[in-house]
Amino acid sequence: MKISLLRERLLWRWWPVWLLQHQSAAASSWKKLQGRPLSTFMTWLLVALSLALPASLLLTVNNLNSVTSHFERPPQFSLLLTEQMDLDDATHLQQAITNWPEVARVKLIPRDEALSQFIALTGLNPLLESLPRNPLPHTLLVSLHNTAPEKDSTLLAKRLESSNGVDQVVLDTLWMIRLEEGLRAASRWVLAVGAMMLLTTVLALGNILRLTVVARGDEILVVRLIGGSSAFARRPFLYTGLWYGLGGGALGAVMLWLFCGWLAGPVNALFILYESQQRLQWPGIHYPLGLLAVAVVLGWIASWMACQRHFRQLDKQ
Amino acid sequence: MIEFDRVSRRHGDQHALRNLNLAVDQGEMTFLTGHSGAGKSTVLKLLLLLDRPTGGEIRVNGDRITHLTGGAVARYRRRFGVVFQDHRLLFDRSVHDNVALPLEIAGFSPRDITRRVRAALDKVGLLASERADPASLSGGEQQRVGIARAVVARPEFLIADEPTGNLDPQLSSEIMSLFEAFNQVGVTVLIATHDMPLICRLRHRIVTLSSGSLVAGDAS
Repeated sequence: MKISLLRERLLWRWWPVWLLQHQSAAASSWKKLQGRPLSTFMTWLLVALSLALPASLLLTVNNLNSVTSHFERPPQFSLLLTEQMDLDDATHLQQAITNWPEVARVKLIPRDEALSQFIALTGLNPLLESLPRNPLPHTLLVSLHNTAPEKDSTLLAKRLESSNGVDQVVLDTLWMIRLEEGLRAASRWVLAVGAMMLLTTVLALGNILRLTVVARGDEILVVRLIGGSSAFARRPFLYTGLWYGLGGGALGAVMLWLFCGWLAGPVNALFILYESQQRLQWPGIHYPLGLLAVAVVLGWIASWMACQRHFRQLDKQ
Repeated sequence: MIEFDRVSRRHGDQHALRNLNLAVDQGEMTFLTGHSGAGKSTVLKLLLLLDRPTGGEIRVNGDRITHLTGGAVARYRRRFGVVFQDHRLLFDRSVHDNVALPLEIAGFSPRDITRRVRAALDKVGLLASERADPASLSGGEQQRVGIARAVVARPEFLIADEPTGNLDPQLSSEIMSLFEAFNQVGVTVLIATHDMPLICRLRHRIVTLSSGSLVAGDAS
């Protein structure tokens, strides 16, 4: 009881002091940055570029993801039947498959209809007429229920392939699956590039802050000699890192908006040409906030590392 | 009270201090003297925990200090006001801000800081230079700013390492008078210096070191 009371009193006593010390460290480090505007701006630019690049890539991948999620993709198979299957056999098979629970509907395209469609589409009439017989098989278009999971459609493809009279099963939506896999790979690539850029930012910022710490080595030494704790000596540099992060993050957010503004015209025109309702997704509020948070944390980590290294060297001396 | 109890400091084969016994009483003013390399600075460094002894024990007001680490070292150092030969002022801030530094560390309010800084600067005769850039002051004035910074938080002990090393005799005498003034109000003062003509004129205890051992003056 006594200990908790004592702690409470100390806390109340030290809280305003702690606040004052932070206020003073924040103000003095901001003033120092204002004193050398060009190098401060260059550092902001470094942080902004390192963060805006992965952020713009992430935004691009997110936009592509939202485009593909608008495509309706009921899984659909084309069943190319064997030569021996005549129209009656094909109709029977159509009825049999229609009764399968996963199957929504089955459409039969007779070989003659397929040929006439092909002629209409390609205009290869003289060539096809010269053939002794129609080379196209009867085809069944099997559409599955929307709810069928990926695994079921793979199993179903195997079952369809083993059905009597089926020569080949073609998954019509394969290109969509490929696109999705491609986007997943792109997302990982963006993450990897992002992580590398963040590491680069920490190292570059750490180096800049290290130079600042070394340049103000006398101040650190005096503060420690007259009884300042390591936290007190470190505080102004942590705030310098924080200001670098805040400025860089804000500049990065502005860059991202400019990037989107520049892209929006042609991208939206493309959507309209494809008769899509979709429009370019803007960074919204999450991206700027995220950029600011990441930049502040990076600045803080970089300055902490720079200080610790300097303090260790001081202690060794 | 500061007590060195058979304190040694060895760097390889070199002895910076050899079984030194020394006691400085509360409210006493003591000069520590000797040639360069005699161990004067080592005594001050060990006392401020800038270095650790390889043997013996140091006690301040009865408490052993050699085992202190981390935040305890910082708190311990706040009990001392330190004056350096090269002043160690920060030239990127005003005289006022230099003197205010120990008070900021101790967590005084801005109002108290202003009041105490002005009082300290007044004592060393530099109140008019409160807003000045330390680089614009003379060597003697810079040293007085250093002294104001050392006493502003009213420490128990005032430690000085060659405080008159770079000053002419008249300025040195003025600086010593300042130390005496602080000693008269109860501050324990320990000054390392080799300015024998000056300290011989003052009637305070003189302890002489040579090769890390006490050769003249009483141990207590």
